[in-house]
Amino acid sequence: MIDRAEASRYLVGRLKDELVVTSLGNEKYDLRQAGDRDRNFFNWNSMGLASSLGLGLAMAQPDLKVIVYDGDGALLMNLGSLATIAARQPKNLIHIVWDNRSYAMTGGQPTATAFHTDLGKVAEGAGYPKVERVETLAAFQNVSDRALKEPGPWFLHCLTEVKPAKSGGLSSPTANKHRFMNAIGARH
Amino acid sequence: MSWADSIVRALKNNNVRFLNYVPDSKIEKILEAARKHGGFEFLPLTREEEGIGVVCGQAIGGARGVLLCPTAGLGNSINALASMAIPYCIPCPIIIGVRGELGEFNPGQITMGQATQDILDALRIPAYRLTREDDTEKITDGAMRMCYASDGPMALLVTNELAGWKEGTPLS
Ligand SMILES: Cc1ncc(C[n+]2csc(CCOP(=O)(O)OP(=O)(O)O)c2C)c(N)n1
Repeated sequence: MIDRAEASRYLVGRLKDELVVTSLGNEKYDLRQAGDRDRNFFNWNSMGLASSLGLGLAMAQPDLKVIVYDGDGALLMNLGSLATIAARQPKNLIHIVWDNRSYAMTGGQPTATAFHTDLGKVAEGAGYPKVERVETLAAFQNVSDRALKEPGPWFLHCLTEVKPAKSGGLSSPTANKHRFMNAIGARH
Repeated sequence: MSWADSIVRALKNNNVRFLNYVPDSKIEKILEAARKHGGFEFLPLTREEEGIGVVCGQAIGGARGVLLCPTAGLGNSINALASMAIPYCIPCPIIIGVRGELGEFNPGQITMGQATQDILDALRIPAYRLTREDDTEKITDGAMRMCYASDGPMALLVTNELAGWKEGTPLS
């Protein structure tokens, strides 16, 4: 099982101009604690929307890698986005899903992945060409390095513990958006 | 020139690049006109809520997209509008094929179709009804310009007055 905070620090240490879009769960806090980046877009409360935001961003910025930092509970709310992404095949998309088999933010109730659902297989069935099941930090380091270099779309199904992240450090939605867009020179 | 061509010309005039959609028969008319005009990329969605995310993602990446869907699809999109497009101040144009009004045959379309205006009002989303061919391009163009100035969602309602209604099997 991977320590998500440790893996997040590894990933952020490797990032240069990549864009990151988060889900609303604990993974966004681990990303934030790993470092302050202009090119992170944080999601306060749109459960399930990270993969769709990431797809739109990947379409608008095809020359930049776009990382979706997702959670199992949130992705289960928008499984259809896997099919939409697979139909479009954005080569610059890296979909990282932190699977703790629970809704940790709301008290740790089990999600469907605590029972019979395997999100990696769902992504494969949807048509993602590159799906990896990642269970150790060493494997995360290896696979995320490859995903940053090689074309995708990638799906990294990362198994992690039910451990709440240290919260805090986010800015307001509009401050975050303006900073992000200024960093890439984007205008509406 | 059809009403659908008028909409497509106004979208082009506002530099829209991505047409993200869940189809209905009115939306197909717009897609058909857009295929003919050229210069757009099309993204079929599985659910309209995704479309709000996709349009917002395109917008923060500096590209313009619209969501096209029927009134039922607005129902599928509400929390994404309320939690993303509105608080992050992201221009998010939605072109909605209205169901549930004049000539409706499908009992399952009536409630959502007729609640559409109130739902948009409750979310403070400006909405413009397209009812006549001769001002469709002007209203669409004006609504799109306003949307990009306002940094928020905007709805264009393609009505049955403009586009006619779908003939279906009557209740028997
Ligand atoms: C539409 C909607 N339904 C429910 C919630 C309540 N909620 C907030 S976070 C969350 C759990 C998210 O689960 P997951 O993505 O697995 O992240 P984790 O909590 O495990 O970090 C839930 C159910 C919400 N914010 N929005």
